[in-house]
Amino acid sequence: MLVPLPLILFLVLAVIFAPGLPRDLPVAVVDLDGSTMSRQIVRMADAAADVEVVEQLASLSEARQALVAQRAYAILMIPSGMEHDLLLGQNPEVVVFSNSQFLTAGGIVGRSLSTTVSTFSAGVSLRLLEAQGIGTDRAMDLITPIPVQASPLFNPSLDYIQFLLSAIMPTVMQIFICATAVLSFSREHHSPNGMPRLQRIAGSPTRAVLGKLLPYTFVGTFVLLLGDVVLFRFFGASFRGNIFVFFLNGFMFILACQAMGALIALIAKDTTGALGMMGLIVAPSFGFAGVSFPRFGMTLFSQIWGAIIPLTPYLQLRTDQTLRGAPLEYSLSTMAWLFAQLVVFSSLLWLMTRKTMAQTPVVKENITTDPQESKT
Amino acid sequence: MIKLRHFLAEVFGVIRTLLADDSAKSTMIVGILIYSVLYPQPYVGEVLRDVPVVVIDQDNSTASRTLVREIDVTDLVDVTMSAPDMKTARDAFYRRDVYGIVVIPAGFEADILASHPAPVAAYSDGSYLLIYSNVMRAVATVAGTMGAQVNYARLTAQGIDDSTARTMLSPVTVTDISVFNPQGGYASYVIPAAFVLILQQTLLMGIGLLHAGRRPPTGRRLWATIAAYFGLYMIWVAFTQMLIPYLYSIPRTGDLVTLFLIAVPFICACIAMGFAIAMAIPWREGVVFLLVVIGMPLFFLSGISWPVEMIPDHLRTISLLVPSSSAISAFVAVDQMGASAQDVAKAIQTQIVLVVVYSALAVVLSRLPHNRR
Repeated sequence: MLVPLPLILFLVLAVIFAPGLPRDLPVAVVDLDGSTMSRQIVRMADAAADVEVVEQLASLSEARQALVAQRAYAILMIPSGMEHDLLLGQNPEVVVFSNSQFLTAGGIVGRSLSTTVSTFSAGVSLRLLEAQGIGTDRAMDLITPIPVQASPLFNPSLDYIQFLLSAIMPTVMQIFICATAVLSFSREHHSPNGMPRLQRIAGSPTRAVLGKLLPYTFVGTFVLLLGDVVLFRFFGASFRGNIFVFFLNGFMFILACQAMGALIALIAKDTTGALGMMGLIVAPSFGFAGVSFPRFGMTLFSQIWGAIIPLTPYLQLRTDQTLRGAPLEYSLSTMAWLFAQLVVFSSLLWLMTRKTMAQTPVVKENITTDPQESKT
Repeated sequence: MIKLRHFLAEVFGVIRTLLADDSAKSTMIVGILIYSVLYPQPYVGEVLRDVPVVVIDQDNSTASRTLVREIDVTDLVDVTMSAPDMKTARDAFYRRDVYGIVVIPAGFEADILASHPAPVAAYSDGSYLLIYSNVMRAVATVAGTMGAQVNYARLTAQGIDDSTARTMLSPVTVTDISVFNPQGGYASYVIPAAFVLILQQTLLMGIGLLHAGRRPPTGRRLWATIAAYFGLYMIWVAFTQMLIPYLYSIPRTGDLVTLFLIAVPFICACIAMGFAIAMAIPWREGVVFLLVVIGMPLFFLSGISWPVEMIPDHLRTISLLVPSSSAISAFVAVDQMGASAQDVAKAIQTQIVLVVVYSALAVVLSRLPHNRR
């Protein structure tokens, strides 16, 4: 279950996001004009890569029905008399209704349809200007006096593989790693005399912690790397960073997750309780990490909560090292942040391990060395 | 009548068993309450505002300063600094002090006055799509408005009359209307959907915790168990689909009867699947582990954040075996978009099929040796 499960999940996620960009999303058209021009707009809309006109409907109420039943993500509504009004210079209005409850799909088709209509409008504008005796080149200049050259840095095609898949894989991994750490620690902690037995075998809290967690560290790092190989090799996601730094970040991330998971296992009363607590803390962490909705737009509570969870600095480091190719100096503070989490979680874990190991008389000679700390 | 009273007593007995089991209680009751406070927190701002951007104004003219001011006053972005060159701007960008860069090249005003195109450049981070869209929308809107004013002035200066000039510049008006979530709020988009998944996952886990590796209930006790979980989760449906939207000011348009028509088969499908899982995996921890880990991928199969049209057919078909894959968008359609039962009939059918399939599976699995001890 250890290696195959996250790999299966990675595979499923990879298949979901494999297209990278949504294409040919269904939209419906209400063409009340039925003129040459309105048909031209519809053809132009359909020709755009991200939109496919799947239905021509007779009325707005039918269109609304198509939106609600999720047969279309947007409606292009061309009013009757559009061509007529246009020729008379009466500025007809074309309306795009997009379903913003499905934020991604609705946004994409909404933007695509209004771009289509604007392009059509610009074409008409061009002809009108030419008719005024303004030359084609001059007319082109006139249509967009202040062109905006929009450049997405780092993710030129605005690809969802780089944006979402690359962030979701580590999120799934975080849950998985925490859960395995919980299970491996709970087995001792929640069975009678488990911790003393661990003490006998391992000798010291440090060795106990390492002995319990290290095997999973290797498994976790291996699986995370395998996911990244798929991402960077198979999907050709861009990698502009330093492989060594990238690997180090991944390794720190896995360790921090393990320490957090094991800590939860020692705090909780029983194994299922620990898994439940872990789920509560870790499962919503994708939202708090600020990939979808950025952290600077969140409340202070959410910013603090996000700052405690290893995923947050790790995803920032990933962006720095993969897409942004930021020079190392910019990543140092985030790496220090992740490292601080690791230190805090490990120290707490060490203290808790010590404390729980010392709870039975078998290990009395150990606690006499530092009775103060074992009480805390 | 007496029969009913016995049955109700049995139902309460089941609830008491649930409450007596710490793990089940914290999953099926306390956990949902904690989630309802914690989960929406990152999104309570609803709409992203004031993305910090840096401006490189190489023209430093009246026109360029007007452009910067206009960009600053939009809700979408906030001009927090100005940089002399790209190097300084990039530095601020890498430090995450700003998330967008606007460049106004030298000669901007001169080009406008000479009736040449006067381009500006906008850079933002394509790895954060919400931020990117804010920056680009702000710059494009302001440049468009300013450009239209410039053009209008030019044409009227050439002696073209007012209304003709307007028509020539924008012969067709495009109006964008966002329906169902008019302000494009992030909480409105993600919260109603996420809580359907949370209901499913906690219910599956709870049943796993209470029944995995144990002899399954039979006879009246079985029906009482089902009735107890069903009753409890119908309360949670009302809580998550009606009270939570209210508490977080998320618009809700759905009607109760339709909500009921999708909620009943959905909860039944989850209960049946819960028993099937509990009978298949006789290890409580294993059930919880599996469900915790697959939660997030299940959300991306629901079609809310990534369109279902993009999911390959085979995967989509397999995913329908999990109630949430078809139920989440049906709940959203009913609650947020005012869909009728007819609009979500397919999802309701799918849930009913799942009830039958998982009930049968649970019965078959309960005959396995490890469940008969």
